[in-house]
Amino acid sequence: MSGQLTPKKRLLSFSTLEKWKDFSLALPALLLLAIFTYFPLISSFYISLTNWDLIKPIKKFVGLLNYERLLKDDQFYRVLKITFTYTVLDVALSLLIGLGLALLFNHRSKAFGAMRLLIFMPYYISMVIASMVFVWILNPEYGVLNKALEVFGIDKVFWLNDTSTALWSVVSVSVWKGVGFVMIIFIAGLRSIPTEYYEASSIDGASKWRQLIHITIPLLSPTTLFLIITSFISSMQVFQSVSVMTGGGPLGSTKVMVMWIYEMAFVQFKAGKASALVIIFFFIIIFFTFVQFSLSKRKVHYEG
Amino acid sequence: MSTKGLLITTRYTVAILITLLMFFPMYWLLITSLKSPDELKAAIPTFWPERLAWENYRDAFRAAPFGRYALNTLIQTVGIVFLQLNISLLAAYAFAKGNFWGRDKWFFFVIAALIVPDQVTFVPVYVMMAKLGWLNTFLALIIPNGVSAYSIFLLRQTFKSLNNDVLEAARVDGSNRLHIIYRILVPMAMPTVVTVIILKFIGSWNSYFWPLIMTNTNDMRVLTVGIAMLKNSVGGSEMLNWHLLMAGSVIVIAPIVILFVFAQKYIVSAMSHSTFK
Repeated sequence: MSGQLTPKKRLLSFSTLEKWKDFSLALPALLLLAIFTYFPLISSFYISLTNWDLIKPIKKFVGLLNYERLLKDDQFYRVLKITFTYTVLDVALSLLIGLGLALLFNHRSKAFGAMRLLIFMPYYISMVIASMVFVWILNPEYGVLNKALEVFGIDKVFWLNDTSTALWSVVSVSVWKGVGFVMIIFIAGLRSIPTEYYEASSIDGASKWRQLIHITIPLLSPTTLFLIITSFISSMQVFQSVSVMTGGGPLGSTKVMVMWIYEMAFVQFKAGKASALVIIFFFIIIFFTFVQFSLSKRKVHYEG
Repeated sequence: MSTKGLLITTRYTVAILITLLMFFPMYWLLITSLKSPDELKAAIPTFWPERLAWENYRDAFRAAPFGRYALNTLIQTVGIVFLQLNISLLAAYAFAKGNFWGRDKWFFFVIAALIVPDQVTFVPVYVMMAKLGWLNTFLALIIPNGVSAYSIFLLRQTFKSLNNDVLEAARVDGSNRLHIIYRILVPMAMPTVVTVIILKFIGSWNSYFWPLIMTNTNDMRVLTVGIAMLKNSVGGSEMLNWHLLMAGSVIVIAPIVILFVFAQKYIVSAMSHSTFK
């Protein structure tokens, strides 16, 4: 660009040198990405075609055997189902509750600002700690939740040891921790909606509820799509909370994809099979990224 | 008028109740860390300790080397922030103001890395670190995290928005690129730079998956991994060591909470950036 603006081109060798200097500034970043992101990606694919055990230097090329075995394994479909259930619950609850909070807390006053910060703060604390606090709150014997339920005559619930409640418990930590972020983003979206729309519709006698359905929610759709895309992808990679709260149990009912990959690689030392799972997982993530991006493009076009 | 007043009152009441509910886990964390072990077993949980058991913190340091964990976490965090910031500044300049072959294609190469999660690359990187003899060293914790596509993206956006005239003037004066980046662009882009530093600091401080894999000795553990290990070693529901675990947890989150309180202006502005990712 700037080359076109200079009236007369400099000496070729000089300008080539300048280009090399500019390029050299980008080089550290490019090299690190090549070494620690792109090479490992290719390497994962290569390892997935072997029966490597992560320790011995021996690798036997087995072709697509690891993939074949995974796709025939019932466990694979179970883990996939658990991961999706977790993701859908997490994203849906976070967005619904986050929107509710945004509508309630979108009020310009000092008190509401302070309350928003208190709700938003957990977003930045460690997931390990958040999970641990929940394990304590959900403790069957001494946990404050069961004590509170006792008041209403509800029997002791073994939240993390029961296959019907364990996944919900893991979801609850993520929702609690993430919902403040969703609220803040939705409030930014709410504040970008021109107030004239509401003024005009209240002159027409529209109720608050109708305004929400016909003005607020449609006009928030770019924000909603942004949140769905980002939280869906990060939610599928859930690991820390599962690792701290249940370790994948009880009876594998919270064994999500990354947990399974971790176990396969570092507990069972099946590097080949784990890498095959990694590659499949990666393609699932890419698939959803593209589906959601193309949806959001269509949406923007639709509104424009 | 009175219906409006009623509405406002209701709104405040509901908002306060929800805030209390949402803040409760944080409160419970702090309060549990100050209860005596006996009080944890109380039939009716107490919402304020009978006696503030500060000795829990001393005992937590005895149960696990939290001082060492904290030092490791700090070294890891500062290392990552320092390396990432400098690498990102250089790259952001090159992509925003530089002029070289296929510049925007190279930038795409950077951005595409955003969709590759750690969980996809960790096995080969682990092997690489093992071969280099870097496992259980800070090199394995820091170097593979030395670049962040997201930081480069944010800084490039900001650099692009800055006027070229100042840069041209500096070039005419014979300033070299490093001078231009650190003396001219960084001061002009300060809010973004601070945001990048804060977000990366929090992210690295809280990281768990990477240090869990790259270290396996007690003296190389970071806080998050150390406390998770402590929890697993003292057992789940039966052994009541929750006062110690919660005291340890307070140590882990205290720096982040303090940072959050003082830097919330930058953090909230970062949120508005992130929507345009």
